[in-house]
Amino acid sequence: MTAPATPVSRSDVLPNVDVAPGRAKRRGRTRDRLVEGWLRGHTLLIYLFLYFPIAVVVVFSFNATNRRVTQWEGFSLKWYESVLNDTVIQAALANSFRVAITTAILATLFGTMAALGLQRTPRWFRTIFEALTFVSIIVPEIVIALSTLVFYSTSFDAVHELFGVRWRLGFETIIAAHALFNISLVMLLVRARLSGMDRTHVEASFDLYGTPWRTFWQITFPQLLPAIVAGFLLSFTFSFDDYVITYFVSGAGTTTLPLYVFSTIRKGVTPATNAVAAVMLLITLTVLVVGQFLVWRNARRTGQRGAQASVAGMITEQSG
Amino acid sequence: MGTMAEAAPQTPARPRRSYGSLTGLLVVPASLWYLVLLVVPLLIVVVMSFGEKSRLGGYQPAFTLDNYIDALDPQRVSPFITSLAMAVSGTILCLLAALPIAYFIATRGGRRKSLLILLLIVPFWTSFLIRTYAWLTILGPDGLGGFIGTLIGDSSFRILGTPFAVLLGIVYAYLPLMVFPIYVTMERMDRTLIEASKDLGASRWGTFRQVTLPITATGLITGSILVFIPLMGEYVVPAILGYGRVFLIGNQLVLQFLESRNWPEGSARAVVLIAIMLVTVIFYVWFVNRGRRTREVSVL
Amino acid sequence: MADQELERYVRQMRWRLERTPISRRGFMWASAMSATAAFLAACSGGGGTTSAAPSAAASSAPSAAASPSGSAVAEQSFTVPPDIEKELFMYNWGDYVDPNNMKQFQEVFGVEKFTYDTFANNDEMMAKFQGGAVGQWDICCPTMNYVPAMRDQNFIEKIDPSKIPNLKYINKAFKGQWWDPTDEWSVPKDWGTTGISVRTKDVKEEVKTWRQFLDLVPQYSGKVVFVDSPDDVFIAPLKANGYSLNSDVKAELDKAREELMKVAPHILALDSDQYNTKIETEEAVLGLTWTGGILELRDKPETADVVYNIPEDGTVFWLDTWVLLAEAPHPIAAHAWINFIHEPQQQALETETNQYATPNDAAKEYIDPKMLADPAIFVSDEVLAKLEPQKDNSGIQQRADIWEEFKSKIGQG
Repeated sequence: MTAPATPVSRSDVLPNVDVAPGRAKRRGRTRDRLVEGWLRGHTLLIYLFLYFPIAVVVVFSFNATNRRVTQWEGFSLKWYESVLNDTVIQAALANSFRVAITTAILATLFGTMAALGLQRTPRWFRTIFEALTFVSIIVPEIVIALSTLVFYSTSFDAVHELFGVRWRLGFETIIAAHALFNISLVMLLVRARLSGMDRTHVEASFDLYGTPWRTFWQITFPQLLPAIVAGFLLSFTFSFDDYVITYFVSGAGTTTLPLYVFSTIRKGVTPATNAVAAVMLLITLTVLVVGQFLVWRNARRTGQRGAQASVAGMITEQSG
Repeated sequence: MGTMAEAAPQTPARPRRSYGSLTGLLVVPASLWYLVLLVVPLLIVVVMSFGEKSRLGGYQPAFTLDNYIDALDPQRVSPFITSLAMAVSGTILCLLAALPIAYFIATRGGRRKSLLILLLIVPFWTSFLIRTYAWLTILGPDGLGGFIGTLIGDSSFRILGTPFAVLLGIVYAYLPLMVFPIYVTMERMDRTLIEASKDLGASRWGTFRQVTLPITATGLITGSILVFIPLMGEYVVPAILGYGRVFLIGNQLVLQFLESRNWPEGSARAVVLIAIMLVTVIFYVWFVNRGRRTREVSVL
Repeated sequence: MADQELERYVRQMRWRLERTPISRRGFMWASAMSATAAFLAACSGGGGTTSAAPSAAASSAPSAAASPSGSAVAEQSFTVPPDIEKELFMYNWGDYVDPNNMKQFQEVFGVEKFTYDTFANNDEMMAKFQGGAVGQWDICCPTMNYVPAMRDQNFIEKIDPSKIPNLKYINKAFKGQWWDPTDEWSVPKDWGTTGISVRTKDVKEEVKTWRQFLDLVPQYSGKVVFVDSPDDVFIAPLKANGYSLNSDVKAELDKAREELMKVAPHILALDSDQYNTKIETEEAVLGLTWTGGILELRDKPETADVVYNIPEDGTVFWLDTWVLLAEAPHPIAAHAWINFIHEPQQQALETETNQYATPNDAAKEYIDPKMLADPAIFVSDEVLAKLEPQKDNSGIQQRADIWEEFKSKIGQG
């Protein structure tokens, strides 16, 4: 297997590069095996660490207790029943979802654009922009939350005076406030990816008279995709779970799940919220599994093998 | 390879030059966002920091430096020190936890790479408060805390309410923020470089240090910034898992903005904090990046 | 007319059906569907339940009340104001209104959309209004000591008593008080005390006064929990020395500071949310707490030794109140709600759900006698006379400084 002069895909060069034990055998080093074992063990441990509390959450959603979550008092489905009857919780969940998806889309779009365009801006602009990116992450949430609220209310009053239009706090204000932090997040992720990128492909494309647009879509974008997807996921998560900013800039009818959960503290967090968490988990995992299954079935039917036969493959491998 | 990349910016012959300014416009939406939702609110904070607390709480227009004098009072600086210690240790722990897993998924993940990454973040789509309360059960007297207590025969042994519990909660909450940037840079790393390094006789550790680390440096920097900075403002995890025994800047700010409703003093404190952190971060980024060739080539 | 009868009947049937437990088989399916449905519903811009509305003409609507366990259910009739709005936006503590009452209100009064938004404590609520969020909601539920500040900053409007005939049921002990001398700005909701919680199986000493409590803290070092509330924490040292719990006298506050700094290193935690859990697991055996959660512990066999004492050297009584917010979009519905919730049977249901005492005398007829007899909830009149109402102390700088110092010294040294 000879390596082509310009590698276009990792699998062209070293199809076995992901299989470390092969190398270990060849070199015969037990130390390599130990390191492998440690890597695997560490990873497994981290996943356990992440999911163990989740398991506890799910288990306690079946807790028959009447108030607090932390004492087990028998098995019961009553909290699931209560969640189904509780429109307040359902509304909160739906609101969280709506805000998080919109924020994630906006932030991913604008953050990626910013990361790409920043190189073409004058140096002074770049410095200020980078400083602002850091500041948006540095500002403690309570500070930005309160000042954004003051900003909203004073500007809405001004708009009312000048144009007679009455703007209100609501989904838009929450999404706008969330998007700030997330745009920075995505931008930093994509830039990190960008800086490690191999420019030769881009050069090759230009040499072959490719237009910038095509070059972008066929060469750059696929390479950036993991960073973009990572940014999207993190943005969604941050927005979905946010409390402080959401609390201050939300209006009537826009209570999100964290707001609702925090507010029940005074009365005691009941297993109802555990049930909601468990349902969320169920839906997410179902979507993942179903997605994976569909792709697998599709691959089987069309005879595709290798990288394309999984959601993961489609996301990470380069197209074309 | 290297020469081609370096030669690129100097070649004006391609039509893409005329797209340069258009590309620059891509930053407009993000810039607008920063201007309206960051700069303006921050200006409000700065203005408030020179004001006075109105009798009923909140802000009253005035011009005074009292708030800054209070904020810089060396006697009340202990929350800052505690926060710093917490943030630094939390970041280091996250780094240690995240590096191996990011490396593993990036290099050994194969087809299931994205699934593995997704599975890392799925737990975070359940409410943060619920998960933290789950830790209360796990580490509490009915769980690990009580178990270890009986094991060592000390009935007043406690995991919760200690810095250990707080750090555990912090790593739990911030891990994805560290893993994702590192993964994203590692995954793009050209594996041939590692092959070459090993073929030239470098040890595994040597390869890691001289090839892997520099290439993924940007990811490491991004990850540490994304963890360290918000950690300085953290207050919920120390409040719940630390039983409030660990009093951080975040707690102090919340106390001033919400309980005392002394916005001018809180604002002054926030401004000082932001200034210190901004300087630190810029210094950190510059320090790590010096000596690395900055890539000026644009991809569009 | 027949139409209306039919509508009413259907509504009642639906309401009864909704309260029966669903089958196991159905729930799996329903849970997935409901989550999706909720998401889709939100996307189409709704936030509350919808129900068939009665015609716009005023009507009396008989309705079966959700049954409080106190006495036989009585048939009720409500007067629906003719021009009542179709929506009500409420801003309240989490989980503070019985969902059955909410549903019944919606059906009887034709309020299709009942939005329930929440805040976690008074300070957050105030900060939000001070930040400018006025005109968003109709009704709010602050603790009474915040009412004057809200009035002075124009966050609330005067209530029209002619729309709330049930005000007659409110005990006069809650009328004409310092926070609302004319009773035009607020309507009492429920009230409670701050006191001493003790695990008597671990603490054999008598802890009936704040003085005894403070003296015992160093002895039970690391096993004492306080609620995370400055107003409540100040009660202990001030009352133990015979001062007013709202004191702003420098010398008195200095003494309080001294006492607080003495106990700070021995405190396990400042915790407003999980203090009852800590007491349950015996992580804490002494507490400066509210009644929330403590009373349930008392009813369980493993923790029957838990005791809640209202201190003899005096303590606070807090009162949560309904207020009408400024620029309320739906004032008629807001008034209708306040009147509705003070119907004796509805109020009794509220009391049983929230487990806080009610200021409504007529409701007592419908409340579980066991609850009525509980001195921790329904304090006797003579003890009530000794309780001091909470004042708004947020302007006192010395208090804020002491609190900050206290908080930073918890568990140190």
